[in-house]
Amino acid sequence: MKLRRRTVLRGLLGSATVSVGLPILDCWLNDRGTAFAGGGGLPKRFGLWFWGNGILPARWVPPDEGRGWTPSEQLAPLRPVRDDITVVTGLDVKTGNSIPHWSGPAGMLTGAPLIVRSGEDYTFEAPTLDQVIANEVGGETRFRSLELGVKPAEGMSHNGPDSRNPPESEPGRLFDRIFGGGFRAPGADPTPDPRLRLRRSVLDAVIEDIRRLSPEVGAQDKLRLDQHFDGIRALERRLARLEEAPPNLDACAVPDRPTNDYADVDGRPPMPEIALAMNEVLAMALACDQTRVFTFGYTHPLNNVLFPGMPAGHHRLTHDEPGDQPLVNQIVISIMEQLRIFVERLKAVPEGDGTLLDHSVVFATSDTSFGRTHTLTEYPAILAGSACGVLKTGLHYRTTPGDNASKLGLTLLRAMDIGAPSFGVGEGRAETTLGGIEA
Amino acid sequence: MRALGWTLAVGLATACASDAEPESAPALPDVPAADAQMRRLTAEQYVNVISDVLGADLVLTTVLEPDTPSGGLVALGAARTALSELGVERYETAAFELAEQAIRAPESDLIPCATADRASADCLRAFVVGVGRRLWRRPLTVDETDVLVGVGVDAAQTLGAPDAGFEYALAALLQSPHFIYRNERPTPDALDEWALASRLSFLLWNTSPDERLLDAAEQGELQTDEGLSVQVDRLLRDRRARRGVRAFFSDLLELHRLDDMVKDPTLFVHFDAELGPSAREQTLLDVERLVFDLDGDYRDLFTTAQTHVNRRLAATYGVPASSREGFALVDLSPADGRRGLLGQVSFLALHSHAVATSAVLRGRFVRTALLCGEIPAPPVDVNTALPEPTDDARTLRDRNRVHLENENCAACHQLMDPIGLGLENFDPVGRWRSFDNGARIDASGVLDGAPFADAWSLAERLRAHPQLAPCFVRQLYRYAVGQDPTADEDSLVDVLAARFAAGGYRVQALLVDIVMSSGFRGLSEDAR
Repeated sequence: MKLRRRTVLRGLLGSATVSVGLPILDCWLNDRGTAFAGGGGLPKRFGLWFWGNGILPARWVPPDEGRGWTPSEQLAPLRPVRDDITVVTGLDVKTGNSIPHWSGPAGMLTGAPLIVRSGEDYTFEAPTLDQVIANEVGGETRFRSLELGVKPAEGMSHNGPDSRNPPESEPGRLFDRIFGGGFRAPGADPTPDPRLRLRRSVLDAVIEDIRRLSPEVGAQDKLRLDQHFDGIRALERRLARLEEAPPNLDACAVPDRPTNDYADVDGRPPMPEIALAMNEVLAMALACDQTRVFTFGYTHPLNNVLFPGMPAGHHRLTHDEPGDQPLVNQIVISIMEQLRIFVERLKAVPEGDGTLLDHSVVFATSDTSFGRTHTLTEYPAILAGSACGVLKTGLHYRTTPGDNASKLGLTLLRAMDIGAPSFGVGEGRAETTLGGIEA
Repeated sequence: MRALGWTLAVGLATACASDAEPESAPALPDVPAADAQMRRLTAEQYVNVISDVLGADLVLTTVLEPDTPSGGLVALGAARTALSELGVERYETAAFELAEQAIRAPESDLIPCATADRASADCLRAFVVGVGRRLWRRPLTVDETDVLVGVGVDAAQTLGAPDAGFEYALAALLQSPHFIYRNERPTPDALDEWALASRLSFLLWNTSPDERLLDAAEQGELQTDEGLSVQVDRLLRDRRARRGVRAFFSDLLELHRLDDMVKDPTLFVHFDAELGPSAREQTLLDVERLVFDLDGDYRDLFTTAQTHVNRRLAATYGVPASSREGFALVDLSPADGRRGLLGQVSFLALHSHAVATSAVLRGRFVRTALLCGEIPAPPVDVNTALPEPTDDARTLRDRNRVHLENENCAACHQLMDPIGLGLENFDPVGRWRSFDNGARIDASGVLDGAPFADAWSLAERLRAHPQLAPCFVRQLYRYAVGQDPTADEDSLVDVLAARFAAGGYRVQALLVDIVMSSGFRGLSEDAR
């Protein structure tokens, strides 16, 4: 479905209001541009889906452009969802490559270089895209954002220096966090659990402790306490939402509780099975509007996962497999297969006249381009979903090769109705979007 | 003046230290201490405190925010990183999980009154004051106590059960920043007595101060040299000191990673999920023995030919397995080819890939963690693939040649490769091998000007390296204070290293020196 969109860009990133021209699909946008009216509007979601160790650029870039593009070898698994995704090629991350596998994510997701204190000690300078967006829309939902991954890992989501959001990696624990402890599905008993209020009173006492402690500590520690404070407040809000009436959304249903037991088989983790369970919980978390922002790590940067049938871990293979690297190629293909499964799961949730996928944009990317040499040119980028008709889907969009990857970050912020004038700093700064993918 | 006074006090109070008191060792200088930072409890510290204060039977299933190293040590990461939203939530889940168990345990002696009196506000208050002092490592103020009692009374009334009052008050204690962070801010004169007690206890026992140490703090004893040295001595003589020293070495040697170590089981039939934890225990037992049973020379850790082995490790080492479970001391000889830390599975397997060894990983660890060298990240866009083995270049040494022949690579790689290549006789799980791809392994090399023929002699070269002991002193100091030394503290660390050497490189003596130093005690100019 094609739709016209007129947006009014407001001032600086971080201010509280967004003004928008027209409602899109049935995503009713109130005067804050993010929430939905009780009468049947739907929220817009943003997600980051990532995998580690990059791609093989020669087998990634599709041979033709525009609509009806021919899938390349590595993108072939996405053929069934071709019309729901847009592949963007030609982007370069411009912010340097001081730490392989981490400079790429820093550049792509924050538009800034890493802060590097030594070869072992580095951190993200600025919040990643998901958190920038969560800062805008996260206040509307019980969870500001959700970070999840298939295996324990550091994750990609950062709030700034020395402050990251570690992902939940066990499906059962993820379920408990969202659907356990007081969650009431639509149609359930309207009386909230009294313990929710008591838990909030405990948190009030903790907040008081933080308030009194804060003036006594140094500047750096004060920032850390501020973040702790924010975390407590967020938890209080989540408890308060559990005390409200259950969500009024047709597609919302509590999924079955997944097991926590996904034992390795021959030393190889059952990644697809774990991902499937995670997808179930996440899809319903989104459908029940428990969050509108997520990051999902299928594999993490620098991972050395032993994929089925492989003689060595993924990272090892990217550096040691000779020639065309057929094994690495196979791994990337299998990862794209998982991306398709993920996209299809979101597509399977009906919402209003469309699907959960229609009302989302999922940005799939990796920690580098060519894994063997850690290049940041021809950086992988796939968008799934149209963000309520704001973005075009079904395209292979090839930008001028060497174009600044930060333009994609800016495009995504605008797609989520955040009127930022720019994204990124220094070489990574972009002030224009990728107009070719905007509807 | 201060240093001289302390020397006498140590001589009187501690039998161990006095007979090793070096005549030629310089006195500890007074230096302005760094601004102390808030240090979040590590996962292990959290569990230790809970166990010590609430009971060793408690079980925690909630997974806490992971520890993050910074500058090579979790102790520094704990002073730097900010807590995520998920981390805050997990502290809440953990607090209620533990509080429920603690209060409902039938033998619990946490509630200081008879069952009949449990419903009284006085009982709740006494509970908060008593448990609070242990958990927060200081007495609670009246205001703090009032708030917590209020929370408890509310819970007891709402849920109609006195026990709920204790549970919710305890859950509040456990979620407070006063529990989660060690706040070591200096007062105008020094770290306050409670912060110092805390620093001392976490360094030596990796847990919160016990009642005796809290009492000593309350009496002002820790502000005097004599009082402080009495407590240092008491803590060091206690069995819990072994746990504290283990915690330091676990951090330095990254031993926690052994619990999750993965090697390809189709290639390494000797690998299973037990090997990592066994290897960890082996290294820690060796360390414990050296530091406590022998009170020996730190450098011996690298050349000792005795080590602890269990049945699981015996297979990897190629030594006969004991018929009993558990660890036993075995003797190694040059025929085994390995001795000391660099011959242990914990080091060898941790710094390898899942399917192959890595001279760079092993070399880099030795260079940075044990010799305190700095190595920057590889340059941008360099092709890091090693050449495949060929008939002319079959071993890793041959295939790594480009690192040392290409001058762009050599600047950094000469610091790492020679060390790692000297250990090539040990495969990715630490088993001995003489051949690599059919070619005999040459494990000779030069360590900063000192030649060695194989791993056995490399151990001796490392022991003799001038940076080995000073680096250890620096690492232990960083761990103790939770941050890198300031420029002023660098001179203190140099003196600590000189005293360490003059006194025979004994770790216990070094711990005493660090605790008694102005840097650790946070003493300012004005206090001197």
